[in-house]
Amino acid sequence: MKVVETAGLSKDYSLNGITVSALRGVSLAFESGEFAAVAGPSGSGKSTFLHLVGCLDAPSAGSVSIAGTDVASLSRRELALLRRGSIGFVFQAYNLIPVLSAAENVSLPLTLLGVPAAEARERAGRALEEVGLAELGKRRPKEMSGGQQQRVAIARALVKKPALILADEPTANLDSKTGREILELMLALNRSEGTTFIFSTHDAMVMEYARRLVLLRDGLVETERTR
Amino acid sequence: MSAAGARDIAAMALRNLSRHKAKTAITAVAVAVSVSLYIFMDGWLLGMNLDSRRNIVSYEIGAAKVQAAAYFEKKDELPMHESFAGWKPLAESLERAGYAVAPRFVFSGTLYSRSGSAPLVIDAVDVGLEGRVLRYPSSLEAGRFPAPGRLELAIGSMAAEKLRVGIPSRPTPEELEELAGAARDAEEEAFVRGLYGPAPEDEAAAALEARKLALKPGASEAELARLWEILSASGRMDVRISTVIDQKAEDGSGRILHVNQLIDASVVGVINSPNPKTNGNVAFMPLDSLQDEAGLMLGGKVTELLVRRSGASDAELPGRDESAAAVREALGPALPPGLEVHGWLDYVDDYIAASRGDQVSTRIMILMLFVLSFIGIANTMLMAILERTKETGMLRALGMTDGQVVAAYMIEAACIGAMGSLAGIAIGCLINVPMVAHGLDYSAMAEQIGGDYGYRITALFRSAWNPPVIVLSGIVATALSAAAALLPSLRALRMPVTESLRFE
Repeated sequence: MKVVETAGLSKDYSLNGITVSALRGVSLAFESGEFAAVAGPSGSGKSTFLHLVGCLDAPSAGSVSIAGTDVASLSRRELALLRRGSIGFVFQAYNLIPVLSAAENVSLPLTLLGVPAAEARERAGRALEEVGLAELGKRRPKEMSGGQQQRVAIARALVKKPALILADEPTANLDSKTGREILELMLALNRSEGTTFIFSTHDAMVMEYARRLVLLRDGLVETERTR
Repeated sequence: MSAAGARDIAAMALRNLSRHKAKTAITAVAVAVSVSLYIFMDGWLLGMNLDSRRNIVSYEIGAAKVQAAAYFEKKDELPMHESFAGWKPLAESLERAGYAVAPRFVFSGTLYSRSGSAPLVIDAVDVGLEGRVLRYPSSLEAGRFPAPGRLELAIGSMAAEKLRVGIPSRPTPEELEELAGAARDAEEEAFVRGLYGPAPEDEAAAALEARKLALKPGASEAELARLWEILSASGRMDVRISTVIDQKAEDGSGRILHVNQLIDASVVGVINSPNPKTNGNVAFMPLDSLQDEAGLMLGGKVTELLVRRSGASDAELPGRDESAAAVREALGPALPPGLEVHGWLDYVDDYIAASRGDQVSTRIMILMLFVLSFIGIANTMLMAILERTKETGMLRALGMTDGQVVAAYMIEAACIGAMGSLAGIAIGCLINVPMVAHGLDYSAMAEQIGGDYGYRITALFRSAWNPPVIVLSGIVATALSAAAALLPSLRALRMPVTESLRFE
């Protein structure tokens, strides 16, 4: 089953009156359970691709379908609900809420989904356990290392069991050892949960882990390989 | 989202308050100041108005007046020729309906004493009936109320001081010599001198009134009565009223006849009631003493009937059963054409103007304070939301709708407002406790301006409790605080999620 499908996806930005094309007609499809990386040098359009697929931005042309739904027809609210229910995000800068504990950060997506508090707490605890942070649930983000914070971010993305997790340069702020641990963790979750992972990266290690690699250059798909 | 979800978002908003404790505290203090000042000012104005209204009804007007329509139109000129006769059947009708009625003939004149003169409004009253409607006859600072059939006056305390009649409470040494000079023998002189001593050793008062003596606080009623008798015997209480009697010509032409009249009378009492209108340039004398040529040739006419429900409590303002309409209904066909009934509020334009003016000016000041608090909160929230742009992008990426983002920030601002409001309510109530119990003493100011400042309070300006306003001020401040987050949060939502996430 196709989780994500893009057709002729383009995105233009206007910068000081000059139009810059970040993506120029990218057509890709990702099946359920894929562990894929969209790679390329800086400015190749990989982050833009991830943002469009994550419904965080609207394309200039082309279409994005998430689980068969063309997102162009959705309102702002419907897009928010789609993100809430079907997509998890992991960001380079972790983006945890500093006033919430690790467990509360993880349970936040469930709260938004209306999951009862007790169940949300229990599921958040399990998600933290899966990422190896069962003992650190009460800590605030500033009391944790970068690797631990990224694990919390992964647990937060995973806890609602979304069809798709989008990870934008998830290892960029981590040392190679921690980066590898994070990748191992995501791979294990991909295998155990069957969750689709799409990364944007220019890190060779991430490309090494990806079962499918899409190389972008100047907003176009340059090469694509599957292992 | 479920109620639990809403609670969690509210909990997150609350925790966000702890990010910048000092800024949150300062903003909450601004709200607290506004709320407490509003509660204080509202309570004070309410107290002043309640006391004023009670004093107007109990000491000045009663609940309603029956007057000639022509008199009411020109009531400020005291047009005595618009008086009316045959008031007794009206009074009987009202008394049968449970009202107390007091007839009056009000006129103006100049009162001459041995020491000076002053223009006065003189209320000629039925001594027996006046006290059933108004309470000032028992508010005597000295002496007694005039007796029926005699040309006697009770005079307002401020007029008495100006005209130097009555017993001075704070004479200068020269005035004491004058009082002592009234004594008929040495024993009386020693008695008079013995009643006065140095003014209290209050430093501020001493500086101001270095040369003033004071009536001894322990002086008994019998001693004061004796002093009054000594001073009265010396002619100190003798006064002359100069007035003009205006009468309509009996030929039906409508011409007004003016007759100059001089009336010799004695001051027998000094009024000092809680209503400054009774203490100013006003005098009261028996209505029956002015009926013939020695008085005002009234021939049984009066200018007004004062009406109050029999046995009405002084603490209560007139109810519906004391309204002009109710009195009119009680009179029924007994009310002759040309006479009207008006409620007490129709006679106190000066008080209403002063009260409204104060209400408006005070509320404008408080509104400005609220606006300043609002700007403070808006600024705090603007900075907080700007600082958390990336976080807002993250929350939107997680699936928070625009409404939920706005709600989260509004809850946060409302929490600041609620903290400030609670503190403001507590402070406002704490200030109000002594203000209700003791009030502020404005007697010096009231004396300086002759008691003519609209409000009918002579000394203590007391506050009152106004629970609905206390609660409402907190609710409004909290709601305004929440509203202060609306524009900054909407502004944050205008930024695309991707831009928010990149924001540094």
